[in-house]
Amino acid sequence: MKKYLAVALGILTAIGGFVDIGDLVTNAQVGARFGLSLAWVVAIGVLGICVFAEMSGRVAAVSGRATFDLVRERLGPRVGMLNLVASMLITFLTFVAEIGGVALSLQLVASVHLLLIVPFVGLAVWVLLWRAKFSAIENVLGLLGLALVVFAVGLWQLGPDWGALAQQAATADKPGDEHWRTFAYYAVALFGAAMTPYEVFFFSSGGVEERWTAEDISTMRANVLVGFPLGGLLSLAIAGSAWVVLGPLQISVDSLGQVGLPVAAALGKVGLAVAILGFVAATFGAACETGLSVGYSIAQYFGRQWGKYVRPKEAVGFHVVLVLATLAATAFLMTAVDPIMVTEVSVVFSAVALPLTYFPILVVANDRDYMGEHVNGRLANGLGSIYLVVICVAAVAALPLMIWTRMGQ
Amino acid sequence: MTGTDEQRRENRLTGRIDGALHLLDRQLLDCEGRMLGKVDDVELTRVGDDLAITGVLTGAAALLPRLGGSLGGALTRKWAELRISEPHRTRPWRIDMSEVDRLDSAVHLSVRRDGVLRRDRDAHRLGRLTGMDVLDPDGERIGRVLDARFEPGPDGTLVLRSVIVGHGRPGSLLGYDRRGDQGPWLVRTVVCRLHRHSAIVGVAASDISWDEGTVRLRERPREAPGHPLD
Repeated sequence: MKKYLAVALGILTAIGGFVDIGDLVTNAQVGARFGLSLAWVVAIGVLGICVFAEMSGRVAAVSGRATFDLVRERLGPRVGMLNLVASMLITFLTFVAEIGGVALSLQLVASVHLLLIVPFVGLAVWVLLWRAKFSAIENVLGLLGLALVVFAVGLWQLGPDWGALAQQAATADKPGDEHWRTFAYYAVALFGAAMTPYEVFFFSSGGVEERWTAEDISTMRANVLVGFPLGGLLSLAIAGSAWVVLGPLQISVDSLGQVGLPVAAALGKVGLAVAILGFVAATFGAACETGLSVGYSIAQYFGRQWGKYVRPKEAVGFHVVLVLATLAATAFLMTAVDPIMVTEVSVVFSAVALPLTYFPILVVANDRDYMGEHVNGRLANGLGSIYLVVICVAAVAALPLMIWTRMGQ
Repeated sequence: MTGTDEQRRENRLTGRIDGALHLLDRQLLDCEGRMLGKVDDVELTRVGDDLAITGVLTGAAALLPRLGGSLGGALTRKWAELRISEPHRTRPWRIDMSEVDRLDSAVHLSVRRDGVLRRDRDAHRLGRLTGMDVLDPDGERIGRVLDARFEPGPDGTLVLRSVIVGHGRPGSLLGYDRRGDQGPWLVRTVVCRLHRHSAIVGVAASDISWDEGTVRLRERPREAPGHPLD
C-alpha cells in the first residue's frame, strides 16, 4: 500500500511539476495563434523528455552518478567545461524566467509594481533552497501545481467544437494568416519548452538525493511515463483554451494575465484564482528546480559535495553557488527586463543546448561498465537514436529561425 | 550513500582498465560516501621497467593543465597568481593508491575525507600521456595517444601495458572500442567509422619521451584496440 502511495505521489508531482513558465507562456502563445495545429510538437516533446528522463533516471539509480558527472567522464574536462558553461547559462536564464514568473503571478493578485515583488520572490526561493527538505519542495509545490488542471476544466466548460479541434491537431492545420517560418519557429520553441535540459539535471540529481537503487527503476518509470504525458495534456489544455477564447479576438499573448484569461472567461473569478495558484506553484517549483540544477551541475563537474541530503555546512560551495545564482537572477530581473521575453529566449536556447547533455547520457546508458544488465534495450535505443537526430535538427534550426522570424513576429 | 553503494558495480581495480575511460574524471568518495573531488589526473611512477599507477591527483592545479591549449596554460598561471605567497600552489593534491578502496562508477577511498589530501610529488601524469603525439619508426606523426590500458602487476598495482593510438581527442572512443555490441547502432557506427584507423600498441614496443611529449614506436601498429570484456 505504501508503495502505491509513493507511486501515486510521484505521478501527481510529475504532472504538477511538468508545467513551468516556459510551457505556460509558449503554449498560450502558440494556442492563441495556431490553435492545436502544433499539438504534434507537444507530443514529440513529451515523448522525448520521457525517453531522456527515463535514461538519466536509470543511470542515476544504477550507477549513482548524475548528469554532469557523466558529461565530464565521457567528454573530458575541456569539452565538459564548454558544455557546463553553455548549459549553465541557459539554465540560469530559465531560473531568471521562473523567478520572474512567480513575481508576475503574484502581481496578478497584488497589483503592485513587479520590481517591488521580485526581491521578495528571490529571497523566498533562496530560503527554500537553504532550509526546506528536498522532498518537501518537490511534493508540496508539485501537488499545488496540479491546480493547473483548471485549464482542462475551463476548456471543457467553454464547450468548443471538439471535432474541429481534433481535426486541427491531427492534420497540423496551420491557420491561413500565419507564415510557415513562424510555424517552424514556434515548433522549435514548443519543443524546447517541453524538453528543457534543467528537467533532466534536476531529475537525475534528485534520484541521487533520494538514494535510488536499481529497485526504484520501476517506480521512476511509472512517474515519468505516466506523469509527464499527463503534464503534456495540461499543456495542450492551455493551448486549446487559448485558441478558443483568444484566437477569434486576434489577441497575441505577451503577459501572464492573458495566459489566464481563457480560464477567467470560462470559470470566472474562482477559476482565475485557482489558475493563479497553479501559476505560483508551478513557477515557484520550477524556480527551485532550476536554481538547484545550477548548484548541482557546477558541483558535479568539480566533484565537490552537493545535495540537500547533507547539512548545508557539509556542502558549503554548493550553497554558495545557490546564493550567488539567486542574487544574480534577482539582480537581472531588477533591470526591469521583461520576464516573458526572457522566457521566450530561454525556451529557444534550451532547444539549442539539448544535444550537449543528451548525447553523453545516451552513450552511458548503453555502457555495461556503468549499467550492467540495466543497459538500454531495443526500444530505448530505437527511440533514443531517433531523438538524437530530432534534437540535433531542432538545435541547428533554432537560432536561424529565431533571427529569420524576428522571434516569431 | 554508503549503504546503497555497497551493491553497485564490481571493483575494477583488480582487472584491465583504460585509464582515460575508467579512471580519469571519476568522482572521489570517502569511506562515508562523502564527495571530495574528481580524479583530475592520475600519478604514474616508474617502478623497474614499468609505469605504475601510484596515486590520484585532484584539485585545480591538476584540472587546469588538462583543459589544454592556451586556455589551460593561462588558467594554470592565473591560478598560481591568485595567491603568490602560497608555496607549491601549482602542485595538485594527491591521494596514494593505498588509500583507494575500489573503483566502480566512482573512486571509493578507504579513509575519511578529513585531511586525506597531500601535496603532489614529482612523478608523471596520465593526463599528459594521453594526448601525446605518436611517431612511427621513421619519426612521422601518425596520431595521438587516445587512452592507456593498465593491467594489475604481480603486486596488484596497475601497470601500463599498452596505449591506444588514433586521431581525435583522448576519450573520444567513448568506450566503443571495448565492445562490438554497445549500442545504439547509430552512435556506434559513427564512432567506429571516425576511429577506423585507431590501433593498440604495447608499451614494450614504444619509447615515451616525457620531455618532448611524444611516443615513438619501434614498429608500425596493426592491432585494432577492441577486446572482449573480461
